[in-house]
Amino acid sequence: MNGQYAALLIALPLISAFFVPLLKGAGKNAVRYFLIAVTALQTGIAAWVFQGVYSTGQPIIVIAGGWKPPVGINLYFGHFAALFVLIVAAISFLMALFSLRAIEVEPIDKYAMLFLLLMLGATGMIATGDIFNLFVFMEITAISAYALTAYNKTGEAAEASMKYIILGGIGSSFFLVGIALIYGSLGTLNMAQIAQLAATMDPTVAQVGLALIIFGLAVEAELFPLNAWAPDAYQAAPHPVTVMFSAFVVKAGLYAMARILYLMQDVGGWGSVLKLLVVLATLTVIVAELAALRQRNVKRMIAYSSIAQIGLIALAFALGTQSGIDAGVFHMINHAIVKAMLFLAVGYVAMTLGGAEIENFRGLGRRMPLTAFAISVGAIATVGIPLFNIFWSKIRIILATLQVGYTWAAVLVLTASVVEAVYYFRLLHTMWFEGDGERIDENIVIGLMVLFLAALVVVIGIYPDYAWNLAQKAGNDIFNVAQYVKNVPLMGVGA
Amino acid sequence: MISVYYFGAIALILVGLYAILVKKNLLKVLIGLSIMETGVNLLLISVGYVSGRSAPILSEGIGPNQAVDPIPQALVLTAIVIGVATTAMALSVAMLIYEKYGTLNIEEIRRLRG
Repeated sequence: MNGQYAALLIALPLISAFFVPLLKGAGKNAVRYFLIAVTALQTGIAAWVFQGVYSTGQPIIVIAGGWKPPVGINLYFGHFAALFVLIVAAISFLMALFSLRAIEVEPIDKYAMLFLLLMLGATGMIATGDIFNLFVFMEITAISAYALTAYNKTGEAAEASMKYIILGGIGSSFFLVGIALIYGSLGTLNMAQIAQLAATMDPTVAQVGLALIIFGLAVEAELFPLNAWAPDAYQAAPHPVTVMFSAFVVKAGLYAMARILYLMQDVGGWGSVLKLLVVLATLTVIVAELAALRQRNVKRMIAYSSIAQIGLIALAFALGTQSGIDAGVFHMINHAIVKAMLFLAVGYVAMTLGGAEIENFRGLGRRMPLTAFAISVGAIATVGIPLFNIFWSKIRIILATLQVGYTWAAVLVLTASVVEAVYYFRLLHTMWFEGDGERIDENIVIGLMVLFLAALVVVIGIYPDYAWNLAQKAGNDIFNVAQYVKNVPLMGVGA
Repeated sequence: MISVYYFGAIALILVGLYAILVKKNLLKVLIGLSIMETGVNLLLISVGYVSGRSAPILSEGIGPNQAVDPIPQALVLTAIVIGVATTAMALSVAMLIYEKYGTLNIEEIRRLRG
């Protein structure tokens, strides 16, 4: 088994994206099935990498072009990257299937190309071991996300895309300034070497650089106050793309943030950066939950709820303890499953009934029982009722927060959860106890997908141990920076 | 050592930010974005600049110790390309907005709220 084949995870979507225009001549459906085939293959490779990393316990490190880091760029598939690359690929595969039905607007070949590039960007952000390479992958993700947001070619879509472009442009400039500061004082871009040399960095420069990088990534990671684009983009983008944004694009940004944050834990004044992030994360949760409460469009409401959950994950990452990171990673897994299911089901309803306004959801329990069931499972799970998966990760985040002594943050987050319960139960009430309607035939493929995701939610809710185990290993991958540095075969440069 | 380039770069970044935050015309906002990116690129270049050294091309009489750091230059090249792609994307979206709304004034383009 040669670990270097893991580079296919980056190469395959990139090459396939360039083949899409050639396939266009073979007909529209050729492009759709090609997309499904590529994402299925990607899932296979990701599963193989996952299997390799978790069975040996050793990370797979791909060294580009045979140049050892820090001269060359390396990809690092540790426990975290292996797990999340698999999640990215699997969700992309499901969304490729969903795109068969959901994408009516032409041109389909551009859609497929951007879809693959979005998947590539998120995979790359998770896997890379070089901060400038991270920037490049972040921009690939961002530019394909801008284009996909505007894909529906309505006024709303163009407006949402423009907001995203302007915020994203400011964010990436900040990120680049942060990189310039770090490179200027350490003379390296390799993450492992940055961690090695972090202690020698001037504390002021390090704090400013780190804060700028956090602000830059906060655009992708949807942290307050840089998340104004997110609800608009979620509402205006095609339904499969919304799922991808919520399920893994945000996660890639969050992970990159956590990774850089912990790499630099040796610098002086690190704690003050963490405090900044705790405040930002708590504000994100509260502002998003309050905004969600007054939405009439269900897709937009769930978008705000998604932002609130992201705030919770960021809070867990900002605690600076092992238990906090483990809980955050666990929440990332659960959130990816639940939000994929919710946006999938809501997107399907919006497609069938012609809109995601709350009026369309009246009597959904009688009209589309399977979809309504999936939305209900997702809603109950998000609120954090026991026996559903998010209960376990939410309670672990709260406990970890209390452990560090941020009682105020825990109290505020719990209060926000009550707000969350209000609007989700309002949705449930509308679906099951209001209105009437004829039964509508539900698509079997989409039905199977939501049932599969709902089953995952319940299984993790009843037997959380396996998923928790994965999350702990992945969390350790982020937290244990000494091990990370040891794993990367650095050339004898620098310290 | 603080070089004069840092001041120029930061001034450009601030001018760009000002344009993004204050200007009403979408095209002016995008120009602000471009100015900001230029400032960032200048900052990145000035990080690797050493006064009195030559370009990082190996030629007669110029060894590794007489050249400036080549890495920031490579980075800026990449950043410029990415910036161009973003600007192109933004302009095409601006065209779409003009088609749908008939205006580029950002105060009039507000269908999405709350």
